[in-house]
This record gives sequence, C-alpha cells and structure tokens, in this order.
Amino acid sequence: MLDLCVLGALAHGESYGYEIGQRLEKSGLGPIAGGTLYPALLRLERLGLVLSDWRAGTSGPARKYYRLSNEGTATLRQASADWAVFVSNVTAIMEVP
Amino acid sequence: MTVEDWLAALAAELHRRRIDPAEVVAEAAAHLRDSGRPPMEVFGPPTAYAVTVVDSIRGTAPPRDRGAPRLQASNISKRYGRTTVLTGVNLSVHAGEAVAVIGGNGSGKSTFLRICAGLDSPDEGQVRLRGTIGYCPQDGGTAGFLTPDEHFVLVGAGRGIRRTASIAQGRTAAAALDWPRGHAAKPARHLSGGTRQKLNLVLAGLGDPDVLLLDEPYQGFDNGSYLDFWQQVWQWRDAGKAIVVVTHRLAELDRADTVLDLSPRNQR
Repeated sequence: MLDLCVLGALAHGESYGYEIGQRLEKSGLGPIAGGTLYPALLRLERLGLVLSDWRAGTSGPARKYYRLSNEGTATLRQASADWAVFVSNVTAIMEVP
Repeated sequence: MTVEDWLAALAAELHRRRIDPAEVVAEAAAHLRDSGRPPMEVFGPPTAYAVTVVDSIRGTAPPRDRGAPRLQASNISKRYGRTTVLTGVNLSVHAGEAVAVIGGNGSGKSTFLRICAGLDSPDEGQVRLRGTIGYCPQDGGTAGFLTPDEHFVLVGAGRGIRRTASIAQGRTAAAALDWPRGHAAKPARHLSGGTRQKLNLVLAGLGDPDVLLLDEPYQGFDNGSYLDFWQQVWQWRDAGKAIVVVTHRLAELDRADTVLDLSPRNQR
C-alpha cells in the first residue's frame, strides 16, 4: 500500500526522499519513518516503477531524485482504478440504511 | 549515538552484506539533515535498517519448485547407556534452505548432526541424503602440522579436485571470511582458534557439496567474521545448497529459514 502511495506522491512530479515523505504526510498519511520510506523507494526502483538520478542541489549536498517510469505510471493508473472500485464496494456494503 | 556514528555503523553493515553503502548512506545523511531528527527515530538501529535495505534491493527470492528434500531425517532416536539423547526427531531440508538447530547443552544437537553426517548411527530412525555432503565439526578437524593450503589439497583430493583448483577454491573461500593475511603457509597449530575454525568451514564447503552440516562453526570468530559466516551461509543457500547450522545464539534465529528445537520438552 505504501508503495502505491509513494508512486502517487511522484505523480505530482519528481522529488527526493525527504520531500516525498513530506508530501505523504501532508496528504494525511501521517509521518512516514525514513526506515520505511527508503526501502519502499529501493523496491520500486528494483521493480523498474521509478527511476532515479543524483543531482547536486543549489545549496547543500547532492540528492537522489526519483520519478515515475512509464511502467510506474501505468501501474499507478491501474492501482488507482482498482482502489476506486474497492472503496465504492466497501462504502456500499458499510452504508447504514 | 551521534549521526556520524550511526551512518558509519550503517555503512559497515551494508558493506558486510556486499552492498555498496555510498548511495544509501548519502541518502540517509541528506534525510537526517533535512528533517533534523535523530537517526534512531527516523531509521531505527543501523543493523535492522541495513537488513531491510538489502531485502529491498535484492528482493525476496522467487518461490521455486523444491523437489525432494536433500536431507531427510526421520524419527531419529539415540541413547547413550541409560541416557536418552534424542527421541523421534524429524527434519527435512530442501535445496536452497537453511535450518538452525537449537537446544541447550546436552540436548543432542551435535549428536543429531553427526547422525545426519553418517558419523554416528541412530538407535532408531533413518537418514536419507540426496547429494554430496560437507561437514564442519565444532572443533578438531584440522591437522596441526599441515598448512591451510595442504588442507585444501588433502580434502580436495578426497572430493576429486585437482591440487591447484583446490588451493584456489580454498583461498577464495578463506578470503571471504576475513582470513588474516599471510596465513596460507603457516601450519594449522600456529593459527588462532578462530582462524582454525574458519579453515574448518572452508574445508566443509570445498568441492561444492549439496548438503552442508555446520556444528557451531563460528567459535572464536570476532563479530565481523561472524557476520561474514552468515553471508557465506546465505550465498550457499542462494546457490541451492541445503544447510543445517547448529547454534546456541538464539538472537540469530531470524537468519535461518526454519528452526529445529531439540530442547527435551520439544521432542516428541
């Protein structure tokens, strides 16, 4: 689940680890520990869903920037559609008449 | 623990697991600078984080067709005089599997391993073995007047390996265990206990046996070599070996796929 949320956070444009964590926190997922976030990014990278490169910042040291690959975009689109179906099913069944 | 110490510890743990630490450490350092939070809060202990990172990079191994077990011990019982050491012990180990055998002193761990290796016979039960076997005893197993290279040649010859190939294989395996430099020409009696145990472990793996039986083979290892030992076990496992490790270090059980507890209450 976190992996898909990370893909979602990257759908708004490339970013680096700390900022991705901030995006997730601001979207209401609560704070995501670095110990969880970076392994997720490494996993997504291994699966070819995100691409990365190191870039020197204007200030401070180099950062690793992540962006969605074409495959990552396709995976996110599919997951998002599946999720919408799932949520509407659950909402329907939990509705109090 | 300062940020620098934590990062250094992470780098060492990754290095031990044969992952280049540079990028992971640089990324963690950048995160810690940005967030201003302490590393233990953000990432947890360096060892645990290193393990998670390694799993993420390597991925979990795809499930494979396990086939027949390489080693199958069925209903093994053993008595010495009136003392019952083992009662109805069962164990199956498949290719690509590492099993830890635990139990207190006198619970029959070593006896069980010797029975699996065919060095002792059980009073009841049987052991089926598919493939060749390498055995590393808890101590002994080396000859004091032979150098490590001579050990490689001797054991290699028994397994049908040529002299030069034996030495090359032995030296490569020894180097992976943080073998001290220049020890290839020293007689074994001049080696430290830990180094002799490393020699034992290398000898067990010589000639690429299908099944490895290791009886607390890391006695006298320093902590670094101990981690290298598990690295070696995982490499064997990934190469499709069946591995049994007798251990008393309960904290390390998560390193094995399966645990066989020989404590008396657990024997049926």
